[in-house]
Amino acid sequence: MRRAVVNRVLLGAVGVLLLGVGALVLAGGLNLYRHLGVQPPSRWPLVSPDRPLLSERSRMRWVARDWWWPAVIGGLSVLVAGMAWWLVAQLRRTGLSSIAVPTPGAGGLRLRVTARALEDALERGTAVLPEVERAGVRLVRAPRHPRLRGAVRLTPGGDPVGLVEHFEDGPRADARASLGLAELPAELRIRVLQAAPVEHRHRRHRRRRRHPRVI
Amino acid sequence: MSGAEEEAPHGKVPRLRAPRTAAAALVSTAVLVAAGALLYDVVAVRAGQPARRWRAQLADELATRRLDDVWVLTGAGVAVVLGGCLLWLALAPGLRRWLPLRPYGETTAAIDKGGIAHLLADRAAGLTGIEELRIRVGRRRVRVRLVGAADPASVQRQLREELARVGVARPLRLDVRAARGAGGAVGGDGRSEVAG
Repeated sequence: MRRAVVNRVLLGAVGVLLLGVGALVLAGGLNLYRHLGVQPPSRWPLVSPDRPLLSERSRMRWVARDWWWPAVIGGLSVLVAGMAWWLVAQLRRTGLSSIAVPTPGAGGLRLRVTARALEDALERGTAVLPEVERAGVRLVRAPRHPRLRGAVRLTPGGDPVGLVEHFEDGPRADARASLGLAELPAELRIRVLQAAPVEHRHRRHRRRRRHPRVI
Repeated sequence: MSGAEEEAPHGKVPRLRAPRTAAAALVSTAVLVAAGALLYDVVAVRAGQPARRWRAQLADELATRRLDDVWVLTGAGVAVVLGGCLLWLALAPGLRRWLPLRPYGETTAAIDKGGIAHLLADRAAGLTGIEELRIRVGRRRVRVRLVGAADPASVQRQLREELARVGVARPLRLDVRAARGAGGAVGGDGRSEVAG
């Protein structure tokens, strides 16, 4: 979740910057201030269409100052480091390979269960719930605590509310209890198949994905 | 499910929001490449080497092309469009095909809009007098257009029951409209709110 917030804030910042600079240049280049009769405030940049985008003089304005080059190099370094961090954050897998299991009363013992084992157990437990055609479950990282992500396909006429209740009280509660975890939240994505009119059937069949994808 | 949970305000369940991973990776890569190249060149020049040709050329173009130059305007237009797209990506929720269900315990769930349409279509398939049914599921309401002799009000009653069974966190309004068909007259528009 936190990564999603960072992504949106940074995407928004880059977007606003591009939009703002582009709009300023367009307004100046198309001479909109004149056409619309608007008087921009003094020192407003990029006003007249016959001036260059970045004149030699404005580029060289601070070059002679002592702080200029350290500031440019420092600023660019921060930008490069920040962007590298942002990129790496996207490449990090959301899946987990194992989950820590609390071992109360056994000091010094640290126990981890592989995610695959947990996922298999949950998938099998979910697949046998009523009206479930196919189920996939993944253990993913989340800010405070690992969480489960499931993709479930129900048979035609299946009951989504019933599935959620059965999953919560069945496989999820079992997994949480047997691992002794304080919490193991889950999100499900539910699809429902269609029994449906015969003439549409073959078309729907082709579009249907073989395996539900856990997003 | 306990009564208290059923009574809970539906507005509390948030919409699903896409993490925007791909867009973030793309933008960060682009900025990283541009800033990295500039940083490398600036440092190289400070270390006594001549500036790369691309940087000298860029500075030259920026200093000579006027604001009303076609290329400058084109670039500005592209920047505006791109900036608008990024802003849209930042603000729009994404994942529009998923509607959240009422949470139960620690499990939150979302259902495919297509899944809701399938459920409604299957329910309607059991009714008589429907020749054609078009179902469009939105975030706030479900629009059903039906062609046939069936009574829109009774179809609506059936579909409303089915919709209530889905358990969407935000109630979906159900509009059933009868289009002109073999049945003849245009039926009344049924509208209803389903606490579904």
